[in-house]
Amino acid sequence: KQWYQRRVAITAGSERALKLTTDAIDLNTANYTVWHYRREILKALKCDLEDEFRFTAQVIESQPKSYQVWHHRRCLIQMTKDPSRELGLTESTLSDDAKNYHAWDHRQWVLEQYGLWDGEFDYIEMLLQRDLRNNSAWNHRYFVVNSTDKWNHETVKKELEYAAKYIRKAPNNESSWNYANGIIKKNKFSYDEFPEFIDFCIKLDEDKILSPFLYSTLADIYQASGKSKRAHELYEKLKECDSIREKYWIYKQNLL
Amino acid sequence: PELYQGIDSSRLTILYFGLSGLDLLGELDNISDTQKSEIIEWIYSLQVKPSDNTNIGTARCGFYATDSLPASVDENYGHVAMTYVALCSLLIMGDDLKRVDRDCIMAGLQALQLPNGAFQCSAFGSESDTRFVYCAACICYMLKDWRGLDRTATTNFLLASQSYEGGFAQNVGREAHGGSTFCSLAALHLMGTLETLPDENLAKIREWCLRRQVTGFNGRPNKPVDTCYSFWVGASLSMLNAKQYLNKECNFSFLMTTQDNYIGGFSKWPNQLPDALHSYFGLAGLLLATEDEALHPALNISMRAFRHLECLQS
Repeated sequence: KQWYQRRVAITAGSERALKLTTDAIDLNTANYTVWHYRREILKALKCDLEDEFRFTAQVIESQPKSYQVWHHRRCLIQMTKDPSRELGLTESTLSDDAKNYHAWDHRQWVLEQYGLWDGEFDYIEMLLQRDLRNNSAWNHRYFVVNSTDKWNHETVKKELEYAAKYIRKAPNNESSWNYANGIIKKNKFSYDEFPEFIDFCIKLDEDKILSPFLYSTLADIYQASGKSKRAHELYEKLKECDSIREKYWIYKQNLL
Repeated sequence: PELYQGIDSSRLTILYFGLSGLDLLGELDNISDTQKSEIIEWIYSLQVKPSDNTNIGTARCGFYATDSLPASVDENYGHVAMTYVALCSLLIMGDDLKRVDRDCIMAGLQALQLPNGAFQCSAFGSESDTRFVYCAACICYMLKDWRGLDRTATTNFLLASQSYEGGFAQNVGREAHGGSTFCSLAALHLMGTLETLPDENLAKIREWCLRRQVTGFNGRPNKPVDTCYSFWVGASLSMLNAKQYLNKECNFSFLMTTQDNYIGGFSKWPNQLPDALHSYFGLAGLLLATEDEALHPALNISMRAFRHLECLQS
């Protein structure tokens, strides 16, 4: 409270006021009012923002889940029109926590604004090699394809092959299945337009791969082609192997 | 307390967790009538009101988080999440909302909505995402006044934020997430547009939500479970009329493991220190799992407080 009283007493636009905001941020990174004051002071002082980028990066390192510091970073980029540090910054944050929602949001915003798409597929591939269950990386792949290409039949087919590669490595990975099913449905295609993918799923089942995601995908495929009996059998399997959702699989079975 | 200093900028939310938590436990009578009046007075003292300085206008109106700053547009800005919890807390305390300056609140909300339909939290500029859309929708619903929100633009933004997975993200193109799915579904529900979504889409959202259950719930595929998702995902399933498909026993068992047996309260995982947020959402999650009609799944207040609101609105 004392801090606020002093702030009100000090004219905005002084180095001392800036230092006060640094102290206040240290006490409470989530104080959005202080961050706002800080930006006002920076504008008034017409600072070279190189130091400010450094300061922000330090705060991000110690508080990588603070909405306020990431928003502040975005404001700095808007002020300077300089996104050159951001892919490196987000890559560094993601190397500590590959699913940090703020880092992904920031990276995607920078990519959208500045079109720095080169190398992004390689980055995603590296992340998936490290952890193919990283749902954020899968979402990012959708984002990059969506921003740089059209979801026509050829693209979906290619992406299904990509997903299939990872499904084979870990058939029980929700992320890869969500990607495969998602790219078909979101883009208003139907399964029968991708016979290779259907064959892939059937083959996995023939190889006795135990995966609730395989079974529910196949059930959807069979239901769409009128093969209710096969779908029914798959829901029986699901009631067993994905028993936590037993009531749901019974419901889906009854819908047939 | 010193350790909670960092949360001063969300102080009103702690009040809401406390009051709503007591309400859900049926323990509001522990607060005397005198205390209730004091609480109501304190909340109203946080209402950011316009001053004689007509240059500033009403864009900054709303409620602020704490009394560390004066509640006047000359020096302060309302925050949409604080306005939401302020209204909830007033309702829980049985207030009639008569001292809420509706015109100012609506003007404050209008100043926060962006052309793409998303909301910022405060007129000085902030990030914009489904969290604040949710708060804005709740405020309009509770005040029965939709001037503050363009329903078409808002619906379009929310639908655009639905990812290929079926769940909703914080923004267009971002990753589907349990928290933002709750925010989006609740906002659509309160605006009256949830039921108008195609069956096929509702089915997809339903399945994505049900897949969040591991023992308790996680917020994204392949992420660990966390107490608060029992509320975010549980309430989402409630609004989708699919609560009956989740496994009550597993959810209940998990929540019991995150309860602190010495201090009380809940933490996000077992054997961690409890905190106000997870304690409240753990409780709300438990109630959703065990009782059918105790909690309003969209507004996140007790049905008792909701009935008080209905009374005021009629």
